Amino acid sequence: MTWFEPDEASWQYVSRKLIPARLIPLWITLVLIMAGLVVLGALTSAWVWIAPAVLMLVGLWLTWIIVRQVTAHAWSEREDDLVVKKGRMWRSVTVVPYGRMQYVEVEAGPLARALGIARVQLHTASPGTDANIAGVPEAEAARLRDRLSSRGEAQLAGL
Amino acid sequence: MNDPIPSLPARGPMVVYRAPREWTRLHPISPLLGGWAVIGVAISIALYNVAPSWTGPDEDIQELAHLVTQSILWFAIGVVVILALTIGLGYLQWRFNEYRLGDEAIHHRKGVLFKQQRQARLDRLQAVDVVQPLLARIFGFASLRIEVAGGENSGIALEYMRLGDAEAMRNELLTIAAGVKRAKETGADASVDAVAQALATGGEAPADAGAGTGADGAVAAEPAAGSAPHSGSGSLRDVTAMPAGVPETPAAEERLVYKVPLGRLLLSIVLSGPFVWIVSVAVAFGVAVLVSSIDLGRVFATVFGASLFTMLPALLGLLGFFWARLSGGFGFAAGLAEDGIRLRHGLTETRRQTVPPGRVQAARLEQSLLWRHQDWWRVTINVAGYQDDQAAVSTLLPVGTRQEALTALWLVLPDLGDPDPAGTVSLAMSGTGAEGGFTPASKRARLFDPFQWRHRGVRATDRALMIRRGRLDREVFVVPHERTQSLGLTQGPLQRRRGVANFTVHSTNGPVKPVAAHLDLEDALALLESQAQRAKEGRARQTPEQWMSAVGIRD
Repeated sequence: MTWFEPDEASWQYVSRKLIPARLIPLWITLVLIMAGLVVLGALTSAWVWIAPAVLMLVGLWLTWIIVRQVTAHAWSEREDDLVVKKGRMWRSVTVVPYGRMQYVEVEAGPLARALGIARVQLHTASPGTDANIAGVPEAEAARLRDRLSSRGEAQLAGL
Repeated sequence: MNDPIPSLPARGPMVVYRAPREWTRLHPISPLLGGWAVIGVAISIALYNVAPSWTGPDEDIQELAHLVTQSILWFAIGVVVILALTIGLGYLQWRFNEYRLGDEAIHHRKGVLFKQQRQARLDRLQAVDVVQPLLARIFGFASLRIEVAGGENSGIALEYMRLGDAEAMRNELLTIAAGVKRAKETGADASVDAVAQALATGGEAPADAGAGTGADGAVAAEPAAGSAPHSGSGSLRDVTAMPAGVPETPAAEERLVYKVPLGRLLLSIVLSGPFVWIVSVAVAFGVAVLVSSIDLGRVFATVFGASLFTMLPALLGLLGFFWARLSGGFGFAAGLAEDGIRLRHGLTETRRQTVPPGRVQAARLEQSLLWRHQDWWRVTINVAGYQDDQAAVSTLLPVGTRQEALTALWLVLPDLGDPDPAGTVSLAMSGTGAEGGFTPASKRARLFDPFQWRHRGVRATDRALMIRRGRLDREVFVVPHERTQSLGLTQGPLQRRRGVANFTVHSTNGPVKPVAAHLDLEDALALLESQAQRAKEGRARQTPEQWMSAVGIRD
């Protein structure tokens, strides 16, 4: 069965650069731990090497998940609302009307900045609204924020 | 707004009387009402003074008293210093605690070392409450809580002022806020002065207040004309037209809608899950002691004694629950007035809440299994802006009959957009499957939701979305379309296998979190689309006037 497909606008998928942005911190952590375990194994018993091997498998699995997640993460600007979809195992779609947006936040850590991507987070009056678009190319993020803000202002409805 | 200042001389008949336009301090007694600390000190002094006389005969205690008496000077000094410090600090805090009514917002600043500035925009005003903690109530004082939409901790608490002042200011703020909203909608000048002017002249002289085109002025005058029938009975607009010096904006006329009798409240607490649990534990323990031999009883006793420490927090939690239910529902009365829904309740702390028209974001009707026999319901609501003590402020009806629950819902949502609202909601409350035009949960969900799937359902009327769920404890969510924040659809791996999905309506912070679980994927997708559309249409037509005419306050 098909998942949510808006008919007016097409999906805009997030930048593939989000994959390295998520993989690099993951693998740095994993490699550090694995290195420690390998040294420990060399000092004590070879059996300890099972742990880094398992970690390696977990890392590969997580990598696969991240690739799948990023390729499923997309947004679509429709006439009255913004639609964000994400996830493959646990799929979710969030529809945020422009008139309900309180403010739009753009943030980028050092790694994201180096890769030239940013995270756009939408805030409504509801804490339940989970609408963030990770991995939007920087220039596009600024444009998106301005566009969303101006549309939000134009359509802003009282709470 | 950006209107130049010349509107100042035109202030003529000043409506804004209680709400000062200049920085103003609160009542000087405030620091003393704030905490029990001072009272504690006072009581301890009193006790100490009395102590020697009644400790007389006992020698040990006399000895002790003697020992202490030697240092009585030090004690007294200590007390004086603490007292002076408390009062001094309280005084300092009071000096720096000021508020004023600005052109678009109420401003509040406080703090000696760490300054804090807050403002509550009038057009975002969500609720104004008059709260009286025990001590303040004894002396006739109250604090005013102003809640606005938006971020964390955005509310303002003005502690304390005389009860009369607090109520007058609440009435004034609500009137002005309604005026500001109206002015914004008609495109007129929405600054406080202009609105006060417009209110004072009854909208008949839009020459300077209703700035802009003549068409705007005409629109602005329209709602005022609508209120004409009330002019004889002291309509707000007429009262606010009183000249300067007339002390108050009286409260909008109130019509009592329902009350909760104490007997029913107590019985409802007895019939609540935690109470039954406590009683059954006690009974089980008693039976165990009786039935078994004494030795076994002793074993039980030791076990019980050992577990007392672990039980204690749980017990306290339960007591807290009973207390919250009792105190929150004590003397509960709901009324209807032009400035919104009025709620009054509280045992030690009385709270008078006013939720302006149409500001309720979502409502939930719930019935626990034990209440089913009496067909009692509890109604809770989400109001944007309330951040703390949610439970105390979000109850619309602590316990009531089905009819009262329907009435409570009608207060929130007078026009359900359905030819037979009572019948529809009744079916929502106790129907199953597709009864009452509901879209039931998918049958395919019964694998992982065997208990409830038959009782889940969702239905959209013209004005609101209703979600039903629960088999033992029944629940109905009602969200007006125009209050929908955003919508969500989620699906886990198991759900995908079975072709079902969860549909969520995101509402503001509060106890009501509407979710329609396990809908057929096709239904869920269709609902997402149609609900987005309906929310859009709803947003376009929402007005407070609509609420007033729907509840019958205005034609």
